[in-house]
Amino acid sequence: MVTLEFRRDRVLLRWKDQKYEWVIEPRYWRNPAIGVGLLASLPLFVSAYPNILTMITTANLYAAITIPLGLQITGTARVNFGPQLYLGIGGYTAALMNLHLGTGPAVTLLGTILVCGGIALLLSPTTWIAKGLYFSLISLILPLTFLDITFIYGDIFRGEVGLVGMSPLFSLPKVNWNYIAYFYLSLGLMLFYLLVCDKIGRSRFGVSMAAINENEDVARMMGVPVDQYKVFFYVFPSILTGIVGWFIVHTFRTFAGVTYLPLDFMTKILIIVIVGGRAFLYGAIPGAYLISAVEDSLRMFGPINYVLFPLTLIALIVILPRGEGLWGLYHKRHHRDYYPVLHVRRD
Amino acid sequence: MLRVNLVSKHFGGLYAVNQVSFSVNEGEVIGLIGPNGAGKTTLLNLICGVYKADGGSIEFLGTDITGLPSNRVCRLGISRTYQIPQPFSAMTALTGVAVSVINGKRRPNMSLSDAALEASYYLEFVGLFAKRDTLARDLTLYELRMLELARALATTPKLLLIDEVMAGLNPAEASRALEMIWSAQEQFGFTILWIEHVMKIIMSAAQRIVVLQYGRKIAEGPPGEISSDPKIIEAYLGSRYAQGR
Repeated sequence: MVTLEFRRDRVLLRWKDQKYEWVIEPRYWRNPAIGVGLLASLPLFVSAYPNILTMITTANLYAAITIPLGLQITGTARVNFGPQLYLGIGGYTAALMNLHLGTGPAVTLLGTILVCGGIALLLSPTTWIAKGLYFSLISLILPLTFLDITFIYGDIFRGEVGLVGMSPLFSLPKVNWNYIAYFYLSLGLMLFYLLVCDKIGRSRFGVSMAAINENEDVARMMGVPVDQYKVFFYVFPSILTGIVGWFIVHTFRTFAGVTYLPLDFMTKILIIVIVGGRAFLYGAIPGAYLISAVEDSLRMFGPINYVLFPLTLIALIVILPRGEGLWGLYHKRHHRDYYPVLHVRRD
Repeated sequence: MLRVNLVSKHFGGLYAVNQVSFSVNEGEVIGLIGPNGAGKTTLLNLICGVYKADGGSIEFLGTDITGLPSNRVCRLGISRTYQIPQPFSAMTALTGVAVSVINGKRRPNMSLSDAALEASYYLEFVGLFAKRDTLARDLTLYELRMLELARALATTPKLLLIDEVMAGLNPAEASRALEMIWSAQEQFGFTILWIEHVMKIIMSAAQRIVVLQYGRKIAEGPPGEISSDPKIIEAYLGSRYAQGR
């Protein structure tokens, strides 16, 4: 029997011994609604500029890679230096299935999820075995090894050229409409990731995840099944990253490991984490937009931008508060609250 | 309740715990004493699954817990406090205790707000309710010790392992901490295995004392017997002092 209960700030749904809550008080969703509204209205101002539309679509995809990475870093208590491994695996799985088996995007999505999930599951014990720098080194080496494989087996992965001609998710009559549609799709994907990761972070799993991040030995002593949690927080974000690869394949219709697997792509993602704010999932969005805008605007300076871009990134890291980033500036007046924040009052 | 049988643990060539055996009965308070480096904390770590024993076995309520991971040992009913407090520094006191409430035993349907309510009960019990929204890193040593006790109680233990809870506390705080432990034992009815360096406290608190030296058990018995044993006096104060008595 399902029962609905309306309270001042939330709606409660009870089913058997389960309880679900939705917060309805405006102060809790006003700011996210304004943020989503602003992002959704961007094409109104830039629809005539395909390069800007492409830039903000790329920013959405950067954020969609960074959000699960934030969840993974917290949940495994380890810094993954190679999130792009699963971007590569997801992208190549979708592209190869589409080109060689002729499967559509729905089937390639399923294939991407299965392959990324399977490989992540196989590699997840590294979160038990390797700590700190050792885990980071392993995660750093894996995408570079995969990049080498794409060159060694050039007949399959097409090395530097990459795979081209995959079927699009859809095709609209006007080119500009396609740009706008892909922007909204990427925005939807990013917001979906944010919603899912935020929901996990604010749940009872989020509390245990935060405990693992603080001190996994003490968390284990308090009954937290640390090993199982680590597997989940390694595999789930890896699948989400793989789906971004699938999205790139069916949006840009080209996929080359040399674009996504090298160190500079990984550096960009990690800098988004730092610029956005390490402990804040929301920070990935302003971080991704800022880095994309900086990268795009420095292109006008020609080849010197290869020097200017890293220098600007270093400046951003130095100027912004350490660990707090852009989102930290927004939260300056609050202490660094862990999610979820719990409050009780004495009756 | 707890049976430790010929348990050993070595790190390289050094035996931290060497064939130690003893048992703990339900409702007892057992003191575990010994000079620095005697292997007391290592033994505690072996019981609660932080280390795996190289030899011997540990049985708790009829279940062999040798080599079980800490989270499973915790769910069976063993909880602990630490010699040096190990708080979740960036978490509030309430959230830290809520972690224990959610994970201390199987509660698949407990919501986070219910966990927070139960956690606040334990905080109230140890006198930290007013500090529930304070980050653990901002608490004093006494408050951290109480937070650890609240965290341990929240897992609803049958056996509580206390590791030098009095270390660093002034006499007034130590006395309050002692009262709190008795009050908790009376209310929750758990058994205590207690490591302590403050002899006055452990001798008055424990019903039985187990003494370790260089990883070996050198004596076991009631506090009165232990305090007059020349072997123990020698272990603590040296052979010259023991001969001079």
